[in-house]
Amino acid sequence: MGTPSFPAKRLPVAALLPLKRLRAQLAPTVADGLLSLGLLALIAWAAVQLGGWAIGRADWAVLQLNSMLLLVGRYPLAEQWRLWLLGALLAAQAGLSWGLLRAWPRADRREQGQLWPRHDRIAAVLITLLALLLPAALGLAGALQGRWWLLAAVLLALRWAAGRWGPGLHRRTLKLLGLLWPLLYLLGFWLIGGGLGLAAVAPGEWGGLLLTLVMASFAMALSFPLGVLLALGRRSNLPLLRWGSVAYIEFIRGAPLITLLFIGQNILGFLLPASISPDRVWRAAWVLTLFAAAYLAEAVRSGLAAVPRGQLEAARSLGLNQAQALVTVVIPQALRVALPTMVGQFIALVQDTTLLSLIGLLDLLGMARGIMANPEFLGHSSELYLVLAVLYWSCCAALGLGSRALERRLDPRSLAGRP
Amino acid sequence: MIRAEGVEKWYPNGFHALRGASLTVNRGEVVVIMGPSGSGKSTFIRTFNALEDFQKGSITVDGLALSNDVRQIDAIRREVGMVFQQFNLFPHLSVLENLTLAPVLVRKRPRAEVELQAMALLERVGIAEQAEKFPGQLSGGQQQRVAIARALCMEPRILLFDEPTSSLDPEMVREVLDVIQALAAEAITMVVVTHEVRFARQVAHRVVLMDEGVVVEQADPESFFTAPRHERTQRFLEQIL
Ligand SMILES: Nc1ncnc2c1ncn2[C@@H]1O[C@H](COP(=O)(O)OP(=O)(O)OP(=O)(O)O)[C@@H](O)[C@H]1O
Ligand SMILES: [Mg+2]
Repeated sequence: MGTPSFPAKRLPVAALLPLKRLRAQLAPTVADGLLSLGLLALIAWAAVQLGGWAIGRADWAVLQLNSMLLLVGRYPLAEQWRLWLLGALLAAQAGLSWGLLRAWPRADRREQGQLWPRHDRIAAVLITLLALLLPAALGLAGALQGRWWLLAAVLLALRWAAGRWGPGLHRRTLKLLGLLWPLLYLLGFWLIGGGLGLAAVAPGEWGGLLLTLVMASFAMALSFPLGVLLALGRRSNLPLLRWGSVAYIEFIRGAPLITLLFIGQNILGFLLPASISPDRVWRAAWVLTLFAAAYLAEAVRSGLAAVPRGQLEAARSLGLNQAQALVTVVIPQALRVALPTMVGQFIALVQDTTLLSLIGLLDLLGMARGIMANPEFLGHSSELYLVLAVLYWSCCAALGLGSRALERRLDPRSLAGRP
Repeated sequence: MIRAEGVEKWYPNGFHALRGASLTVNRGEVVVIMGPSGSGKSTFIRTFNALEDFQKGSITVDGLALSNDVRQIDAIRREVGMVFQQFNLFPHLSVLENLTLAPVLVRKRPRAEVELQAMALLERVGIAEQAEKFPGQLSGGQQQRVAIARALCMEPRILLFDEPTSSLDPEMVREVLDVIQALAAEAITMVVVTHEVRFARQVAHRVVLMDEGVVVEQADPESFFTAPRHERTQRFLEQIL
């Protein structure tokens, strides 16, 4: 395709008319053109096959009947309003962050200051279509369909409002808005688990996508500080701390997650008396956390190595002590460097949660396998697996998109026109 | 203000970088250190604020003896500002935040007050209009002026400069030297490592030659440049003049 090897010979692609632009991108030479055509044909063939199957032969009843099971497992019906509330709050927060990140002046001049840049328009249309069509296609009850529409509406409304008024906000206010995420996180665990005035819902009753997301976000949030501490420990001057960190990181990285999960489930159960050994779900959550921390530590370590020595020296020569210099000067820069790798680890973590189904937890995959084992739905695994693929892909894609927006926001060169 | 006596330093790889260097800097004095590359100039002034340790000899800064006591070292660093060859501004903070970070965090001063002072300092080094920009958006000369303002914002009693103009394009050297010269006129104690002869002649009260880890000669600029006593100084001056 458009290889950048001879850029001087061609006009900038953007300067051409649409049709010519397409030709310049897809078929700058005859060989490139044939390759493009071949690929297009392949994609079209695959799309037709899949579409034909999805509309014709596939039987989506298995989803209609099990949609709540896949989403939240055996979460008590009477308490499900809490999850919808949490969903609405999450949608609001996501819309807010999206709008604020996008409204920010960027190095990318073309999109600067636009309320709805092109990619955002596409994303908004996709979200609207998904919210309208998917529940309808699944034949959900009217009330349930309405709730999905509401979530999408909240998301887009806040995206619009934040994009519209965000740029006028003071920087301090924006920093405070960042604190909403951890707050919402704690609120989320309260809404899901109950207690403090809400009826308790034991972890054993969480399931499906809910369990997958709870496990992944719990492990992400806790493995992050742990990973930073381990990375610092690995660079420490104290031999004991350094060796301890190295031993831990290398041990975890050398063991497959599934063995660690089994160790967590079985051996911990023998070692600890039942009264203090945590619930099966929590045991698995901690194993995931400790596992992810070792990998994050390596990502953070590479970030720390990328921060020039002079930064620490400058901070120390201003009178900051070691801890202050690390927290305000070194770690922020290291994290910015490590961000893409860390998000890669988080995405891997989401996928690793599927192993939970092997130790008998009913996460999204475990729940789907349970449904497939039901004789009533025999022979419908393709439909289920397709939906699983789409769901896992959406979670990972959302992480990737969010991190790229954050990366641009944190790139100092992109802050040119800041108020 | 600074009294270094017989300082000896070995780097961890065994290299003997300082071999008994001695120097006294008085209050309000501007001392310029010159010398060939690798003679230990950077190592020497970096011992003054404990960025480098040393194994023999003694250093007293502002009445406090440099030792391994961490608190003592932090106390000395608060009073000694340093400007580096590579600027070492914090790229993730705006120019204004670069200045206010340490006074707010270390001296626990109210942010609003520090911001006023920081703006006044930026005004003085001629870049007040860049306060909200980020270091990466400034020219080298502007960055070094921000670095000087950042050091000043801690209100240090002593300023150390390690080749402040060596990584600047020639046309920016002047603007930075002008700022340092203006500071010298305010009787701030300064130790400046530099190869700028004109600057040394105009600003220094005393010029020092270092070679192979020791202070070889010190004299007022006039006699240093026109009537050097030591043969090594003469050879060095022949090379740079
Ligand atoms: N971290 C280190 N480990 C080992 N040797 C070092 C280290 N830093 C510097 N040196 C050596 O110590 C000697 C003195 O270095 P220093 O940087 O103080 O010289 P300088 O006079 O500042 O030179 P320049 O004019 O090039 O900056 C040099 O020979 C250098 O190679
Ligand atoms: Mg040097």
